[in-house]
Amino acid sequence: MDDPQAVASLIRRCIGGDADAWEEIVRMHNRRIYNICYRFTGSAEDAEDLTQEVFIKMYRTLGSYEAEKGAFMTWVTTMTRNLLVDHFRKSKMERMTDSMDVSASESGEEAQPLSEQLADQGPAPDARVLSRERQAMVQEALKKLSPELRETVILRDLQDMDYREIAQALKVPEGTVKSRLNRGRTELARLLQRTYRQAT
Amino acid sequence: MAAEIQREMACSEFEALLSEALDGTLAEAGAERFAAHRQNCAACGPMFAEAEQGMKLLQGLEEVEPPRMMVHRILAATTGREPTRDVVAAGRPSWAERLRGYLPPALHPVLQARFGMSLAMAFFSLTMVFNLAGITSRDLRKADLRPTSLRDEAVRTYYETQARVVKYYENIRLVYEIESRVRDLRSAGEGKQQPKQQDDNKRDEKNKNINEKTSERPDRDKQERYSFDFAGNVLAMLNAPASPQGQEGAR
Repeated sequence: MDDPQAVASLIRRCIGGDADAWEEIVRMHNRRIYNICYRFTGSAEDAEDLTQEVFIKMYRTLGSYEAEKGAFMTWVTTMTRNLLVDHFRKSKMERMTDSMDVSASESGEEAQPLSEQLADQGPAPDARVLSRERQAMVQEALKKLSPELRETVILRDLQDMDYREIAQALKVPEGTVKSRLNRGRTELARLLQRTYRQAT
Repeated sequence: MAAEIQREMACSEFEALLSEALDGTLAEAGAERFAAHRQNCAACGPMFAEAEQGMKLLQGLEEVEPPRMMVHRILAATTGREPTRDVVAAGRPSWAERLRGYLPPALHPVLQARFGMSLAMAFFSLTMVFNLAGITSRDLRKADLRPTSLRDEAVRTYYETQARVVKYYENIRLVYEIESRVRDLRSAGEGKQQPKQQDDNKRDEKNKNINEKTSERPDRDKQERYSFDFAGNVLAMLNAPASPQGQEGAR
């Protein structure tokens, strides 16, 4: 999958009308695209619809891919991200987003070490996999992030893309990626901190 | 030392290096300055802790499983053809799985093979019984299955059965009573006549003993008390001397 030549060959076959090659591409990327869509929308139904849209668009525009401009995965990610942003705008979720401009001082929160406050709410803080309840809480908090921060943290912390790839996919400088990543992570932690406080 | 203090990290620089510090990719010299600033700065220290916590929480999210039929639908929407490999087998649920989806969880054991065989045998047995009894599906109207109809039918059957039993009992009692009366009349008539042959007397005595030993015959006093009027009417009808034809007619 990572071999550019193999990917280029697969794409050429697909453009030439080889249905098996297209099926191979779908198999390789459907899981990843679905996960990006699910984490961005928070809805399994929307994620499936959007994933299908991504592949339909990919199937129609596969001929426009240029291997010299970047990896195929980055191209696919860019396409996915654009559809997600379109979906976000259509669904008017901006009004529901209340996360980004809320600073700690505005919300009256003190800048206390968050690790201590979160650590006593569940199992060991170093646990890689969260419980189902905490996963649901993180997903809810993720939905409250602005689209720019959300897509950045999803690509970095969930899809493990490097800064350069993210910058290419989002068409922003690497410095912006890092800045958004920092803000996204801290904002998510603050939102969860607020949720924990309300719960207790 | 003074040079190091002069080179103390600014907050903007700290923020620029924050993601790399969390990744653990900072150079050694930069890491020391970063750590020093994190300990000394009241704003950047908590920010580092929050960013670190946010990163751990995000990385703790599990990968979600796509729907089983998604690849199938994507291929159908793009190329319009069925998947060539195990997508159909793995993605398309079998008829048993689909049926299981429709049933509530409590009924899932019914789908096991042994329950299926039991149900088939029960159905076969009931079908045979209905066929032998002459019951067809046309007899089972919807109205017959209503609770009110079932209740009325049960009540009607009960009273019909009761009436049949009472009628049967009354008929038996009447027959015994008539026989008893006829025998009394016979014996009374024979008592007035001259004694006939000895064989006839023996036979009468034998019949009398048999009649007296009949344990199944109802008590004579009770018979008279229960059906005195009716017996009187019958006696009036049998006013003539008893004969075998008369007995048969009475029966």
